[in-house]
Amino acid sequence: MWWVVGVVTVVVLVSTYLTWTAARVDRLHARAAAAAKALDAHLLRRAAAAAVLAEERSAVELYAAARIALDSPPEEREAAENDLTRQLRTIPLDEDAEALVAASRRLAVARQVHTDLVRDALSLRRRRVVRLLRMTRRHPEPEYFDIDDPILAPAAVPTPLP
Amino acid sequence: MRVGIVCPYSFDVPGGVQNHVMDLAEALIALGHEVSVLAPADEDAPLPPYVVAAGRSVPFPYNGSVARISFGPVSTARVRRWLARGDFDVLHVHEPFSLSLSMLAVLSARGPVVATFHTAMTRSRAMAAAQGLLQLVLERITARIAVSALARKVQVEHVGGGAVEIPNGVAVAKFAGAAPLPGWPGEGGAVGFLGRFTEPRKGFGLLRTAYADLAATRPGLRLLVAGPGEREELLDGLPAELHGRVTYLGKVSEEDKARMLRSVDVYVAPNTGGESFGMILTEAMAAGTAIVASDLDAFRRVLDGGRAGVLFPVGDAAALGARVGELLDDPARRSALAAAAREVVTEFDWPVIAERVLEVYATAIEATDGRVIDQEVP
Repeated sequence: MWWVVGVVTVVVLVSTYLTWTAARVDRLHARAAAAAKALDAHLLRRAAAAAVLAEERSAVELYAAARIALDSPPEEREAAENDLTRQLRTIPLDEDAEALVAASRRLAVARQVHTDLVRDALSLRRRRVVRLLRMTRRHPEPEYFDIDDPILAPAAVPTPLP
Repeated sequence: MRVGIVCPYSFDVPGGVQNHVMDLAEALIALGHEVSVLAPADEDAPLPPYVVAAGRSVPFPYNGSVARISFGPVSTARVRRWLARGDFDVLHVHEPFSLSLSMLAVLSARGPVVATFHTAMTRSRAMAAAQGLLQLVLERITARIAVSALARKVQVEHVGGGAVEIPNGVAVAKFAGAAPLPGWPGEGGAVGFLGRFTEPRKGFGLLRTAYADLAATRPGLRLLVAGPGEREELLDGLPAELHGRVTYLGKVSEEDKARMLRSVDVYVAPNTGGESFGMILTEAMAAGTAIVASDLDAFRRVLDGGRAGVLFPVGDAAALGARVGELLDDPARRSALAAAAREVVTEFDWPVIAERVLEVYATAIEATDGRVIDQEVP
């Protein structure tokens, strides 16, 4: 009799743990996917703001970099975005660049959050129980988006003079 | 935006985190957002209208001082009720790794969660033992903010993952508008210091030595000190004839702090290390007081490489005395420094900082439901 109670308890505990873990897997993957979508939107916004500024200033190289970033296929996107960041670092940030500076700052936050959420999801994927029961089969593996810090004018931390 | 903020420590005792939470809440309200702050406090305690009391707190030794916190089933129920009633767009918790309302709120939250880390705590055995729990807390947090480079470094090294660095804000208007204490700074000049003068890293000993030298040749020069401690300890090592020229205010409130900073010609920050941000410097800058500070990384950054305040080599009392003496003799240079400081400190003004916090809120919401929020360029 007692072993029945014991087995039932164990089964209940194990299945609760597994359900809970499966829910965690779903939640973290949904979040990483949402963060990726948001990151994509902020990348597009920055490139668009850069293109607008390049047109206003007739800056050919900047315009080209912005276009390439907007049109790049996924596998070349990181390099294209880094090129755009490098271009932006060379231009003077006057009044007319305000929208661009704001877009870059939002992008920096979106990138940071995306990186953290991808890391959370990946570390859960590596768990043995998750791998063994293939809990991630419905979720593609989240990928890092590895670009340089896009921040243009570090608003709060002025760089020290040499 | 509807924002719920959780403060882990009681408002009954003053503290950095409590001030930060109150200033942030007020700045967000001024920008037109709906804010509710949950904090441990007795129901009958006098609180600002936006604060919800989460009940009695118990003393808990933490980080060298005693913090009053709430934790347990009753607190959990209150947190849940507050969350349900508030229906917040974003939940912003402070110090979520302390056993407190903040941790309870994170574990009960369903929507986007933003967490701010204040202390640069090092990894302890207790933290290692609770790794599983911390991981669960961490997983619930959507976006993290660190108030200093040091706090961020701890994040990266010990918890895994980064954080957006947003410094502490300063309520510039409050400091700029404060009235000096009656009779200060006076004809002979006045030098100020604020902080725990018994702690060697605060470097008060350097200022004491420098002041003794300066006062010997300047008969009217006075020293104004505020901070926790005993007057005897403060005067220890200072020639007896100078004791009458030192005014000690004890521990001061936020308002008196602003008045104290406005009461001196030169504010001195002689710290020898351990300072991660230099909050007091931004406050002195907001008050429009000329600053002489140690050449620490954090101080140099806040003072814009020396443009907004004079730097002296760390630990060099003679150099400190010389710099303070030069400034006391040169009112034009003092006002030039104050003008530069006022310009630099606008970057730390709460309305500016609150806008940056709002950007993190927006990002956290976006990372939860995938839609992108339009935010006007301020």
